[in-house]
Amino acid sequence: MNTQAVLTAMLPEHLVLLGIVALVIITIIGRWQRATLAVSMLAVAGAAVAAASLSLSGYAAAPFAGQFSVDPATLMAKAVVLAMVLPVLLMSRGDFADGEFELLVLSSLYGVCLMQSADSFLTLFLGMEIMSLPVYALVMLAYARPQSAEAALKYLVLGGTATATFLMGVSLLYGSSGSMSIGTFSQTLAATDSLGRAAVVLVLLAFFLKAAIVPFHTWAPDAYEGASVPVTAYMAVIVKAGVLLAAVRLFGQAQVATPLLELLVVLPLVSIVWGNLAAIRQPSLRRMIAYSSIAHAGYLFYAMLGDPAGRLQSVTFYLLAYGVLNLLVFAALPAAADDRERDRLENLKGLFHRAPFSALMIGIAMLSLAGIPPLPGFVAKFLIFKNVMAAGYTTYAVLGLVGSYLGIYFYLRVIQFMFMSPDARTAPRAATRSVALGASLACLAAALLVSVFPGWVLAQF
Amino acid sequence: MSDAVLLNLVLFLPLLGIALLLLAPADNHDYTRRITLAVMVLQLALTAWLYARFDAGVAGLQFETRVPWIAAWGVSYQIGLDGYNVLLVMLTAFLGPLVVAGAFTAITKDVKLFYAMVFLIQFAMMGAFVAQDLFLFYIFWETMLIPMFLLIGIWGGERRIYATIKFFLYTAFGSILMLAALIYLVYALYKTTGVTSFAFADLMQAKLPLNVQAWLLAAFALSFAIKVPMVPLHTWLPDAHVEAPTAGSVILAGVLLKMGTYGFMKLGFPLFPDATQLFTPALMTLAVISIVYGAGLALVQDDIKKIIAYSSISHLGYVMLGLLSLELTGIQGAVIQMVSHGLVAAGLFLMVGMIYERCHSRELAAYGGLAKLLPVYSVFFMILTLASVGLPTTSGFTGEFLVLLGAFTGAWPQYQAGNSLPLVLAVVAVSGVVLGALYMLRFALTFLYGAPRAPHHSDQHPLADLSGREKTILGLIVVAVFAIGLFPDEPMRKTELAAQAYRQLVSTPRLPGGTP
Repeated sequence: MNTQAVLTAMLPEHLVLLGIVALVIITIIGRWQRATLAVSMLAVAGAAVAAASLSLSGYAAAPFAGQFSVDPATLMAKAVVLAMVLPVLLMSRGDFADGEFELLVLSSLYGVCLMQSADSFLTLFLGMEIMSLPVYALVMLAYARPQSAEAALKYLVLGGTATATFLMGVSLLYGSSGSMSIGTFSQTLAATDSLGRAAVVLVLLAFFLKAAIVPFHTWAPDAYEGASVPVTAYMAVIVKAGVLLAAVRLFGQAQVATPLLELLVVLPLVSIVWGNLAAIRQPSLRRMIAYSSIAHAGYLFYAMLGDPAGRLQSVTFYLLAYGVLNLLVFAALPAAADDRERDRLENLKGLFHRAPFSALMIGIAMLSLAGIPPLPGFVAKFLIFKNVMAAGYTTYAVLGLVGSYLGIYFYLRVIQFMFMSPDARTAPRAATRSVALGASLACLAAALLVSVFPGWVLAQF
Repeated sequence: MSDAVLLNLVLFLPLLGIALLLLAPADNHDYTRRITLAVMVLQLALTAWLYARFDAGVAGLQFETRVPWIAAWGVSYQIGLDGYNVLLVMLTAFLGPLVVAGAFTAITKDVKLFYAMVFLIQFAMMGAFVAQDLFLFYIFWETMLIPMFLLIGIWGGERRIYATIKFFLYTAFGSILMLAALIYLVYALYKTTGVTSFAFADLMQAKLPLNVQAWLLAAFALSFAIKVPMVPLHTWLPDAHVEAPTAGSVILAGVLLKMGTYGFMKLGFPLFPDATQLFTPALMTLAVISIVYGAGLALVQDDIKKIIAYSSISHLGYVMLGLLSLELTGIQGAVIQMVSHGLVAAGLFLMVGMIYERCHSRELAAYGGLAKLLPVYSVFFMILTLASVGLPTTSGFTGEFLVLLGAFTGAWPQYQAGNSLPLVLAVVAVSGVVLGALYMLRFALTFLYGAPRAPHHSDQHPLADLSGREKTILGLIVVAVFAIGLFPDEPMRKTELAAQAYRQLVSTPRLPGGTP
C-alpha cells in the first residue's frame, strides 16, 4: 500500500470525509449552525475540482489493488456527479436549517464515490450501502406527514431486497469463479451453466431494483413523493447516477450476448414505455418526475448495448444532461408554505404570469427531458441511440426511440399548464429563494454549455 | 465584412433580437414592437444584399461557413446559400417584418414572449434552410416545433390546446423516425466508405442497397410529408391553422410548410435516388390526391381560415408533382410555386386576421358585400384571390403553369413507352386548377359581393377600412406577387443550376446495377 497513492487517488473521497467530520463537529458543539451549507458546499466543490483536475492530468492509480482504482475517465464521471450535488445543497436551504441534511447527503455521497471506483464486489457492496442508508433517513427527514414514513419504509424494505439479491448473486459468482473481483461479472456474462447465469441475473436484477426499472419500480413514485424536494432531487439525480456508473463499471469491456441481451433490452424498453405512459396520469410533479426517471433509467440501461468503449462516455454525458435539467426543475419550483402543495401540477397553472423565470426554467427543463433539440437532452439521447445502432441493434434502437416519443406528451402538458392555462386559484404564493435562484442559474449555465459546445464536453469524458 | 460572415449574421440576428427583448422594459409594448420590427427589417436588408450578391452562374454552395462542431461524430456547423435555398431564405426574411407588423394590434397578451417566439421560429426556419449538415438541419428542424407550439397554444383560439398538441405530436412522430433513419444513414455511410460525416455532400455518396434506401426514404418521407402536408397526413393542418393566431398562420403557411417540400428536394429524393424511382408512382398519386382532395374540401368549408388551409394542401401538391416530374421546367416551377404560395397564403391569412380583428368571426356566411364596406381591403383581397387561382401575370400562374408543363413533358415519353399513370395524374392535376378557381371565387363572391353585412358593423359604427400599416404590409406582398409573375426570369436563373443538379442526382441510379 502506497501512502502517496492513497492520498492522491482518494482525494475526492477524503475531501468529502473532511466535510462530514466538520459537519459532525459543528453539530456536536452546537455553534456556527449557519456555516453548515458553506462547509458542505466547500467540501463537495473541492472534491469535484480535485476529481476533475486529477482526471485532466491523466492520473490513474490503484491504491488498494483489487479493491479500489481510479483512471481519468472514472474521475471525470465522479467530478460530474460531485458537481451536480452543489445545486442540491443550495436548494435545501429553505427546507432544512440545521445541518442534518448536509451531513446525510455527504455521507451518501461518499458511498457514491466509492461505488464508481470499486474493483471488487466487497467495495461495491460497501459503497452501495453507504450510499443507500443515509437516503432512507433523508426520506424520513421530512417527517411532517405520514406519507414520508410510509415512503421511507417502502424504500427501506425494497432497498433491503435489492441488497439481498445482490449478495445472493455475488455469492453465486464467488462460488462459480472463486473470486470477488467485479471482473468475474463480465466474464460470466457469456456463461452457459445455470449457476453462472443465475448469478449474473441476480446481480443485474439488484441493479434494476436500485435504478427503478419496471417491474421493480414501484418504490420510486412513493419515495420521490414522500421526500422533500431537495431529497427527491438527490435521489432522482445522484443516486441514479451512482447506480448507473457502477453498472457501467460492472459490465466492463464485455459485449452483452443472448440470452442476457433480451433481459437487458426488454425490461429497459418496458420501463421507457411504461414510465412515459404512467407519467401522464400523475397529479404531482414529483410523481411525474419519478415515472420520467424510470423511463430515463431505461435509456441509460440501453447504453449497455453499445460498444463497451463508448459506454462510460454516453452514460456520463446522459447523466449530466438529465441531471442538470432535472435539478433545474427542482431548483426553479416556486417556494410554498406547504411542501406538498409545492409541486401539485394544478398549482403550476398560469405560473408564467406569477413567476416568469421559474416557468421558463421549468419549461426548458421539460423540453430537454423530452429530448427536443437543441437542448442537452437531445444530444445525450442521440449519443446513446447512435451507439446502440452502431452495435447493430437497429430494431431495438427504433423501438427505444418510439418509446421516447410517448414521453413527449406529459412534458408538454407541464408547459401547457404553465403557459397556456389561466391562473390556478389556490396557487400558493411565497417569496423566491435567492439560493434556489443561484442553483437554477448554475444549472442553466451548465445546460447552455452542453447544448452549444457538446463536442467540447464530450471530449472531456 | 465578407458575405459568409453576413450570412451568419442573418442567421443569428433573431437571437440577438431575443436578447434585446430580454432587456426591454416589461410594460412598454410599443418599444418591444419597434425593436422587433427593426431587427426583422435589418435581417431582410442583409438577406436582400446577399440575394443580390448571389451568383447564379456558380453551382454549389456560396457564402459557406464550415467549422467542426462535434468533431468526434463528424458533425460540423456548415451553412451556405445555394440554388435550393436562396429563394426560400429570401421568402423567410421577407415575411419576417410583415408577420411582426401584422401582429401589432392583434397581440396584447404576453407581448414580449410573443415576439421572442417569433424571433425563435425565424431563427430555426432560417437555420433549417441554410444548414448543410444533417445534424444541424435536424436540430433546426425540431427547434421550430417549440415556438410554434407556444404560438398556437398561448395566443390561439378556443381549441388551441387541442390543436397545438396535435400539431406537436404529429410532427414529432415523423421526426423521431427521421432521427432513427438519420443515425442509420450516417452509420451505413461509415461502414461503406469509412467516412464519419453528417455533411449533405458526403451523405450523397452513400451507396446503400435498395431495401435500406427504401426504409430510410420511408422514414424521411414520413417526416417531410407530415410537414408538407400530404394527404392522408394532413389532418393536423386545418386545426393548427384555424386555432393559430394570425402570425402563427402566416408563418405556418408562408414558410413552415415549405420545410417539407424543401426537405424532399434537398434531402429525401437526392439521398435515396433508387428508392425514389421506386416510390415515384405512389408519391405522385398522393400529390395529385392532395391537389384534388384539398381543393374539394376547400370548396365546402364555412370557416374562412379552413378554406385557405385546405387550399394550401392543394397548392403544395403541385410542388410535389413538379419535384417528382424530374423535368427542369417542373422542378423550377415547384420552387416558384413554393415562393408564390408562401406569399399568397401569407397575404390571405393576414387579410383574414385583419377582418377578424374588426368583426371577430371567421364564418364565411356572416360576411357579404365587403366591396362596399371596405373598398381598399376588397381590392387587395381580390388581387390575392386571383393570384391564388393562378391568373397570368401573378406568381401563382408561373408556378402552376410550369409544374403542369413539367408534369406533361415528363409523362408523355412514359405514355409512349406504355406507362399511362403519369399522364392520367397530370390530367387529373389540371382539374385542380379548375377546382381552385371554383373555391377561391366562391369565397370571394360571398365575401365581397351581395348585400353588405358583417358582424359588429352598423351604419352608426361602420367598419374601418385598412390602416396605413395594413396597406403597407399588403402592398409589399402584392408587389412581390406581381414581380414574380411578370419577371419570373430573375428568380428562375438563381435556381436553375440547383434544379439541374437535383435532376441529375435523382435520375442517376446510385447503385451499380441501376434500378432493378
